[in-house]
Amino acid sequence: MKIMNFLKKIFLWEILSGLWLTIKTGANPRNVVTRQYPEEPRQAMPGFRGLHALVRESSTGREKCIACGLCAAVCPSQCINIYTGEGPDGRKVAERYEIDVLRCVFCAFCVEACPVGAVVLTEHYEYSGYSRESFLMDKERLLENWDKYMAGDKGRFYLKNFWRPMARDFGEYEGQPVFRGPKKEQAK
Amino acid sequence: MFEAILPPGSADIILDVVWILIKIVLILAPLMLCVAYATYGERKVIAHMQVRMGPMRVGFHGLLQPIADGIKLFFKEDVIPAEADKPVFYIAPVIALLAAMSSMAVLPFFKGFVLADINIGLLYILALSSIGAYGIVLAGWASNSKYSFLGSLRSSAQVISYEVAMGLSLVGVMINAESLNLTDIVKSQGSMFWDWNLFPQIIGAFVFFMAALAETNRTPFDLPEAESELVAGYFTEYSGFRFSIFFIAEYMGMFLMGILWATCFLGGWAGPGDNIHITLPLLGDFYFVSLGWLILKVFAFIFSYYWIRATLPRFRYDQLMDFGWKILIPLALLNIVIIATAKIFVKYHLIDSLIKVIS
Repeated sequence: MKIMNFLKKIFLWEILSGLWLTIKTGANPRNVVTRQYPEEPRQAMPGFRGLHALVRESSTGREKCIACGLCAAVCPSQCINIYTGEGPDGRKVAERYEIDVLRCVFCAFCVEACPVGAVVLTEHYEYSGYSRESFLMDKERLLENWDKYMAGDKGRFYLKNFWRPMARDFGEYEGQPVFRGPKKEQAK
Repeated sequence: MFEAILPPGSADIILDVVWILIKIVLILAPLMLCVAYATYGERKVIAHMQVRMGPMRVGFHGLLQPIADGIKLFFKEDVIPAEADKPVFYIAPVIALLAAMSSMAVLPFFKGFVLADINIGLLYILALSSIGAYGIVLAGWASNSKYSFLGSLRSSAQVISYEVAMGLSLVGVMINAESLNLTDIVKSQGSMFWDWNLFPQIIGAFVFFMAALAETNRTPFDLPEAESELVAGYFTEYSGFRFSIFFIAEYMGMFLMGILWATCFLGGWAGPGDNIHITLPLLGDFYFVSLGWLILKVFAFIFSYYWIRATLPRFRYDQLMDFGWKILIPLALLNIVIIATAKIFVKYHLIDSLIKVIS
């Protein structure tokens, strides 16, 4: 055994086996793991947390948001600004809903906190701009994001699996006053 | 035409000079192209060994990348440190490039094509590779930066140490060929691979290979320019075209060592079919098959450089010195003893006379 080790040392056995490994790896082009990015975009995994959007309800054509302000309250980077007002039918609505995307850390706490599943994170991640203003998303742009990236089956899949209001998953003790969404929805 | 204005006989001299200039262009122009594409090849080979792709954007699979790099380096701002020793700073890359390029003068590329067929070819190359070290040391000194200075100090120590081993490893070749002329060295080896110096002098070949790695500052001996420790080593403060001159000198050195390795141990341009030639007008015989053999051998050598770079990490400094002085130099001396003994036995037919004495 000692002689074997000596011979291995003399003939640089470890280095040769290392060389064999590199040539084996290099000779097969299928080993390459590089993604040629702009040509081969990365498919987002389910549950990806990308650009924000406000869910547009198909029945009303307006946002689902009820302007409760929970998202703004829970946001750790405080990038959500909500200005509430009274809607035409006397309900509380968000007159302005702004997200400063540059400040966002994509923790998705707002999505978890939202009692109605109104604010979501889409799979879209390729956004860039020349000014800070272009990243200050107002309500219209957030709704547009929904139409662009999440409308249809994809949004439904996400709403079912990832954006379900988390409040529904947890029980609470008897007598705890809980907000369970607007009355109409509860009646269903 | 010339006789009218010049003394007789000067027409021949002028023709000679023109012919030498043409030869220089014929050697250097393809070599510069090779150097440019050696960088591309290095990036590609190492990338694939590291499961990456390397340059892919410029041209088909990045084939125009070296040209793009060249244009970029050419038009980059040439920054000179305020505290630099300006004249030395200017001249250092020139010395490095000069040493690498003028070594090409004595290398035989194919039968009868040598720029200067001098009888001290090997000695000339060894001397010039020492001068190349001056370029590195001066660059480190003139930059007035501690990274450059450390790099150049390491480089000078390393080059001096490994030059001894390299010179000694070539002594076996000189003994075998009984000449320092590189053409004679090629002719002393046959055209088939069992006639080459590689197998009888496998120890010398190994020592030469390792010393060549160290002389050209390649991994695992790249301490002078250790990126992770010294930014870039001796050319840290160089930018733009001066940097590219250093770069060209370094790759030129690699090709020089490759050709020297092929010439001394792999039979140079010799190979099956090396007598096939076409006779070109004015230029003489062109042995394209033998040129192809040389190119093949050199490229195999350069590829092994890349291969080793992709495999081995850098030596520690004391390991580097230990390896040079305690392993390579004794091995080279052993090689000299073996080859010299064998040469005497063969030359004076000592085995026959021994048998005669015994019987």
